[in-house]
Amino acid sequence: MRGTTRTVAVAAMSAVALLAAGCGSGDSGGSTSSAAGGQTGGEITVRGCNPQNPLVPSNTTETCGGNVIDAIFSKLIHYDAETAKPENDLAESIETTDNQNFTIKVKKGNTFADGTDVTAKSFVDAWNYAAYGPNAQSSGYFMEPIEGFGDTQCTGEGDDPCAGAGMAKAKTLTGLKVVDDYTFTVKTSEKVSNLPVRLGYSAFSPLPEAFFKDPKAFGDKPIGNGPYKLDAWNKEQSIVLSKNDKYKGDFGGKVDKITFKIYQDSDSAYNDVLANNLDITDEIPASALIDDKYKSDLPDRNAQKETGVIQTVTFAPTKVDPNYANPKIRQAISMAIDRDTINKQIFNGTRKSATGWVSPVVDGYKADQCGEYCTYDPAKAKALLTEAGGFKGDKITLSYNADAAHKEWTEATCNSIKQALGVDCVAVGVVDFATFRSQIADRKMKGMFRTGWQMDYPSIENFLAPIFKTGASSNDGDYSNPAFDKLLTEAAAETDPAAANKKYQEAEALLAQDMPSIPMWYGKTTMGWSDKVTGVKITAFGTIDFSSVALK
Amino acid sequence: MTEAAVTEAPEATSRGENPVDAGPPRSLAGDAWRAMRRNPLFWISSVMILVFVLMATFPSLFTSTDPTEAILQESRALPGQGTWFGRDIQGYDIYARCIYGARASILVGLFTTIGTVAVGGTIGIIAGYAGGIVDTLLSRLGDIFFAIPLLLGAIIFLVSLPATNNYLFIVLKVVGALVVLGWPSLARLMRSSVIQVKPNDYVQAARALGASPFRIVRAHILPNAVAPMIVVATINLGAYISAEATLSFLGIGLQSPAISWGIDISRAIVGLRTTPHMLFFPSLFLSLAVLAFIMLGDAVRDALDPKNR
Repeated sequence: MRGTTRTVAVAAMSAVALLAAGCGSGDSGGSTSSAAGGQTGGEITVRGCNPQNPLVPSNTTETCGGNVIDAIFSKLIHYDAETAKPENDLAESIETTDNQNFTIKVKKGNTFADGTDVTAKSFVDAWNYAAYGPNAQSSGYFMEPIEGFGDTQCTGEGDDPCAGAGMAKAKTLTGLKVVDDYTFTVKTSEKVSNLPVRLGYSAFSPLPEAFFKDPKAFGDKPIGNGPYKLDAWNKEQSIVLSKNDKYKGDFGGKVDKITFKIYQDSDSAYNDVLANNLDITDEIPASALIDDKYKSDLPDRNAQKETGVIQTVTFAPTKVDPNYANPKIRQAISMAIDRDTINKQIFNGTRKSATGWVSPVVDGYKADQCGEYCTYDPAKAKALLTEAGGFKGDKITLSYNADAAHKEWTEATCNSIKQALGVDCVAVGVVDFATFRSQIADRKMKGMFRTGWQMDYPSIENFLAPIFKTGASSNDGDYSNPAFDKLLTEAAAETDPAAANKKYQEAEALLAQDMPSIPMWYGKTTMGWSDKVTGVKITAFGTIDFSSVALK
Repeated sequence: MTEAAVTEAPEATSRGENPVDAGPPRSLAGDAWRAMRRNPLFWISSVMILVFVLMATFPSLFTSTDPTEAILQESRALPGQGTWFGRDIQGYDIYARCIYGARASILVGLFTTIGTVAVGGTIGIIAGYAGGIVDTLLSRLGDIFFAIPLLLGAIIFLVSLPATNNYLFIVLKVVGALVVLGWPSLARLMRSSVIQVKPNDYVQAARALGASPFRIVRAHILPNAVAPMIVVATINLGAYISAEATLSFLGIGLQSPAISWGIDISRAIVGLRTTPHMLFFPSLFLSLAVLAFIMLGDAVRDALDPKNR
């Protein structure tokens, strides 16, 4: 998903790479069952890209930095590489009786690469730092559910909200309390049913004392507690990791050294894999995806897997563009899109047509929530549009950010709509992602626009609440439905995960009636590797599972 | 002596291939036309250009298929599978798009040539005729624009102009960029031919008779100095067509919904290893169009250059 810069602005980490965990194979693309094979030791090279920010877990929301962060930090929770199922990593236990007061016990005996212990304080200090407004950490909003978050934020306006009277009132979150060296408590401001699931996200990593002494130096050479440690970061060229001999966890890697070679585009990385100059690329360029060329280029050395990503097309808020207000018009447009053919011809089958708003890889997924409205049926679409009184505007527009590979599918989608409904449809490119997002955020963009969501943590809640709840941070279409909000609040209060999921599914079903956005497809990640390595597996987050990669 | 000179005249004409035509005086253009029509290169290139111009003005003469009609199911179909040239990645008919793509290229080439000839020609004449400080100023101004690399300058120019969906405006944007950066070469050429023609006796005579500078330039200098510029402008027309394709290929020239060979080449590049026909046909049309104008330019040069006779 790297090419598709996520719509969800800062939200959503593109990164969560799971280290460790060595279960099952995630292939659907023809890799052999070399899962357990390979020797220990040696070094590999993998495709990398330039991290946007210094390598601090709470300030990394994109894959380039995220892939590195996830290899060098362990969290309380570890997500299973294949199923994304959360399991305890650093956490001894996470207990709650009311979904609001949590007691977290940390395992003893774990240390950072510099030899200092990982204690309850390492977590509490790190989370406070992330939340504190003046620190401007891009993942700070993950601390939002914790009590006292509002007081740690700057309230001023303009370029520097922290100036003068806008300065944050509190430096720490009132909801975090250290009980003893290895125990701390978390109190949330509202009930949260899936807090433990969230704690595997990199923003919740612990940080050593050294970080707080000099955050800037730490960002260039982070000290982590994960299976690997950072040896060198040669800007624009490579990031070198080596095995952390102080790591005692269950999810260690096999190879001794991992080098992220930084590439500007996926074509050159792919060619290097073909020439055995690079061991793994986590992105196959479009030119090799055509006609499954990569499968003949890299026989038995490729894999494909569904990941927690969904692409949608969102309608501008009604007050911005009233032409799309009628849900019937929205449903008609959705039914006019031939998802399967676009997927086959434009994406070469590297997507999966969406049947709802929640990715199939998460707990709580229910198929066919969108029903017939996400099934291509030009005749019914046309009838539905006529029933709604036809399209009033001049033409349908579908905007996209032109700096990533969205032109082809938006054009194909528009052609499909045009042919089925007989209404002109134009795909409009906006110069880059930043401009595109600011037009959406300022509510200036009319018509339809592309949106995407990569899960932060594997939960159905993550696909609903941040996007469709009234006033939510990524609610680009200003969707508001009291019944939907009520179901989400009830679900968050459920202590039984199954009951909570059921409520979330009921909420999702409401979306089909209102159609705030059109589900397009779920993401898949395709990887290829050289003939030197074995055991390459893709995690549910679309990253390389470093616990199983080994040299042949 | 006078008598002798008169009697010598018929002898002189008899050296020509066709003494019958010797009667009326021959103009420069007439001479050139005679030379050109005997040149097969001229006829080949003219026919090609005529076909491309017809394509640009009446694309429906060549195809009845709508170039924006996408049949996605048949995406990347090979030539012969229902269509002459196959289909591209969006399922558009490549043949229809090649035909419709001619318009953008011909328009850009033609407008840019007209623009550079008008701007460069005028500035060249003024600089060459006026001389002195005016010449120095205009020549240095030309040098400044000449120093900007065409592609780099055009990218900056096009990116800084607002985006639009109006076809004519998109074309004019590209034309504007190429004219702004392309005029100095023609201005230099024009200036040097004007300087060459200016000291001639007939110019001095016209001046002695009291003709205004405008009249001197229009009636005496321009007709005798314009030939090299016509040659270079014709050859440049081909070069501008390929410059347009380059800019469109980079995604900053013409943009969808405009149809252009450059755009089609750019979107076909992903299929280079698997379905190269998507790349081949627009490239072929582009090459042929550029070749046609360069060949015409060569034929015109051969005809206008007296040294070749």
